Amino acid sequence: MKDLLSQTEEIVTKAKKLGADEVIARTTFGKYRQTRFSNNQVDITVAWNDYVTDVTLAWKKRVVATQIHSFQDVNVRLRNLLKLAKVSKENPAFGGFAEGKFSYARSRADKKLADLDKPSEYALEAIGAAEKEAGAKVECGGILFTKYEDVYLASSGGPMGVDSRSAVELSIRAFAQREASGHGVECSSTLKNFKPARAGAKAGRVAKLARNPKMGKEGVYDVIFDPLILGSLLGIWGGMTSAYNVLVQLSVFVGKLGKEVAPEIVTLSDNPAAYSVSARVFDDEGAPARETVLIDHGILKTYLHNSSTAKIFKTKTTGNAGIVSPNPWNIEMGPGDMSREELFKEVKNGLYLTNTWYTRFQNFAKGDFSTIPRDGIFEIEKGTIKKSLKDLRLSDNVLTMLGSITAVSKERQHVHWWMEADPPSLAPYALIRNVHMTKSK
Amino acid sequence: MAFVHRLCLQGGTKIDKDIVDYALDYAEGKKVQYVEVRANSQQRDMLLLRNGNLEAYTSAVDSGFCVRILANHGIGFASTNKWTKEEAREIVNLAYKYARSARRREKLVFAEEKNVRTRWTVGQKRKVENVPPEDRISTLMDVHKALTSCGVKVAATMLQCTMDLVTKYFVNSEGSQISSSVPRLGATVFVSVVEQGKTEQAFEQFGYSGGWEAFSRWNIPEKMVHDAKVLKAVITKAKAVRPGDMDLVCGSEVAGIAAHESCGHPMEADRILGREMSQAGRSFVYEYGPYWLGKRIGSEAVTIVDDPSIENSYGYYMYDDEGVKARRRYLYKEGMINEFLHNRESAAKLGTKSNGSSRSVNYDREAIIRMSNTFVMPGELSEEELVEDINHGVYMKSFTEWNIDDKRFNQRYVGREAYFIEKGELKGPVMRPVIETTTLKFWTAVDAVSKKVEFEAATCGKGDPMQGVPVYTGGPCIRLRGVYVK
Repeated sequence: MKDLLSQTEEIVTKAKKLGADEVIARTTFGKYRQTRFSNNQVDITVAWNDYVTDVTLAWKKRVVATQIHSFQDVNVRLRNLLKLAKVSKENPAFGGFAEGKFSYARSRADKKLADLDKPSEYALEAIGAAEKEAGAKVECGGILFTKYEDVYLASSGGPMGVDSRSAVELSIRAFAQREASGHGVECSSTLKNFKPARAGAKAGRVAKLARNPKMGKEGVYDVIFDPLILGSLLGIWGGMTSAYNVLVQLSVFVGKLGKEVAPEIVTLSDNPAAYSVSARVFDDEGAPARETVLIDHGILKTYLHNSSTAKIFKTKTTGNAGIVSPNPWNIEMGPGDMSREELFKEVKNGLYLTNTWYTRFQNFAKGDFSTIPRDGIFEIEKGTIKKSLKDLRLSDNVLTMLGSITAVSKERQHVHWWMEADPPSLAPYALIRNVHMTKSK
Repeated sequence: MAFVHRLCLQGGTKIDKDIVDYALDYAEGKKVQYVEVRANSQQRDMLLLRNGNLEAYTSAVDSGFCVRILANHGIGFASTNKWTKEEAREIVNLAYKYARSARRREKLVFAEEKNVRTRWTVGQKRKVENVPPEDRISTLMDVHKALTSCGVKVAATMLQCTMDLVTKYFVNSEGSQISSSVPRLGATVFVSVVEQGKTEQAFEQFGYSGGWEAFSRWNIPEKMVHDAKVLKAVITKAKAVRPGDMDLVCGSEVAGIAAHESCGHPMEADRILGREMSQAGRSFVYEYGPYWLGKRIGSEAVTIVDDPSIENSYGYYMYDDEGVKARRRYLYKEGMINEFLHNRESAAKLGTKSNGSSRSVNYDREAIIRMSNTFVMPGELSEEELVEDINHGVYMKSFTEWNIDDKRFNQRYVGREAYFIEKGELKGPVMRPVIETTTLKFWTAVDAVSKKVEFEAATCGKGDPMQGVPVYTGGPCIRLRGVYVK
């Protein structure tokens, strides 16, 4: 591993000698595996090995980047990159890369995730659990994904380090009927405590409950959000705290620093913690990745920053680089003091939504959007699930919904699936009042 | 300056055909039913401007190859970007192991295809390689300048431009050998307008297979200035529509997105067969269900095709990523469900032939069933004739928010540029009109179609990991009678 770090560092040294002002090189050796299944059978198992060094350099505030796949190409690539910088255009907003020598937390990556011997066994275990809940006729589809990466980073600003990152994710959707489905996920950075049956059982349980759905009615509802659908919303809200998105008005949080954006029970953080599928010890500039409280008891405390956006906002990086744009790693919503059951009891007439997809905005700055709940949609009456519904759309506004969060559960789940609940999050059940639901006419 | 601009979009790792051929030979030495090796080299230059500042200029090459093996009626796939024989053996061994361990009840086979040995390319009128980086940057800067000097309060802009040279080399155990080379340009522009303390936003995408001449065809500054002025008018002049049943004219942009979402996607055979059930979802079309081949889904005025053979289109290709010749597919024909999009796996399951719809974004992704250029076929009326027959209605020229459920039946489009229609004439702007309806109601309500087809570039998302493929959506203007607009 030291050799690769030395070679990565050598790229930085060479680029500096050629005249670059600042340089970051990041070498990633990644092994990624995925088993896809549908109709209760494995469709394909795929493996992709990736070897790459990402190099970004700045010359007189001109920022250019490339990828190097072989260390033999380094000299030519760096010379070309510097020539490109010299004909490029100055970026007055470039604030330099992170500076300093940092000691990073020890990575807890799980080497076993580099190559599982029988990945399809995990998928079959989840399918079995869904069948146990919903019966042998249930149809299941999904993926098992594993990642193992070694990342070597060197920067002319001082940061230098090695990180190993691992993840295992199982996502399963079960259909008890053509229009009665449930979705479960199981996400972890290590195999320890990874229980695919947990995801399968949830998918099967929701699918069974969702049988014989009736057409939903347009209206305003008190809604309980399952951790899976709340994870989708947290990903969107978290993304809107990126200072880059604030600068281009792709955020409802423009001009809201220090202001109340949610009730006191809402605390939101970004935390690339060891349990997360996006755990890491440094960001793309080599700044330590750490927990950042974004919304503290309803008050927007900070945006997410890299060094350049931090300079624009006269603050410090939060360790969320992205060279161009800071990104959230793993959004956590602070726990409430109610159990799931107590949360349901708060609802006299309302809905329980378990999942969603296809969230799109009319206007990011204003926050008007719609998203389409999928899998189990349930009518709640006096705290109990009464009916399975279908064909409803959630059409509302980010700030209105944030402001209407009235209760949050104690229990939380680490969720991530596809691009719909991304970035990953640690999500509770949440009760949001007066949510607008629409439907086709 | 020639030495400078040539450093972009050239050099780097090329496809090593010897390694590809070696991987095929090595895999054929195992007990396989079918093997293909697909190599891909993508040289990409990318510029990103935020509020007029060039954030970064990226120039990189990504090249590698993958092996897909059908063995023991299971499929395994492995890829790498390390060009060595040792690595080739490793990924073949992995793919073979995965294929054999699938333990499927239902045995996978591929529909038969003739082998093909050919080479195809897309030409450039003005080679991207010959356009200096400075010119590329200034072309993008001009868009920002046009937006900030057009008399509208533009609060933010974001522009991105990608220039790709994609070369591929495909071989399989049936004797196919196909080389291709496609230059492809794409641009996205986002503008946020603030007037009277209110914000409106627009996002536009441009795409082209070919050379730098794309920029003169796109005319981005003019289009974006038009958008900015429309957004200003929405803030300062637009009125909300009184909800109710009325006639609706959808411009080509809206017709195109509807064709893509509620015709193209539900006609993907892998979706119909359930292979995408946990991510992109299934389809309202399924065997023994209410909708299948030969069933009515729209009026006789509705014919929607998917056609990869449109020259210079963003979704252009001559052979798909399984080596099958591309052709036009009539998905909905005169209102009837007519043909699905197939690859060799789905075609075998449904007892037909592939129609060349298998696409992959790169060497490290499995090729899956995708659209190319999906559009409504033209009719015979002019746009004026469509409108003059409407007493009370709305003309929705473009859209902002849109989405559709994962069975592709319940959809919603929110107008960005839209106008009232009163007694056959276009009147003032409408504030974000909404149509939220079903696929059946939408296409059944169409009673007339204009004769001029226009296309929009888009990136179609599907697959896990996500594969965003370049496509066109499009069509003429279409007239819907008596639909609910709010």
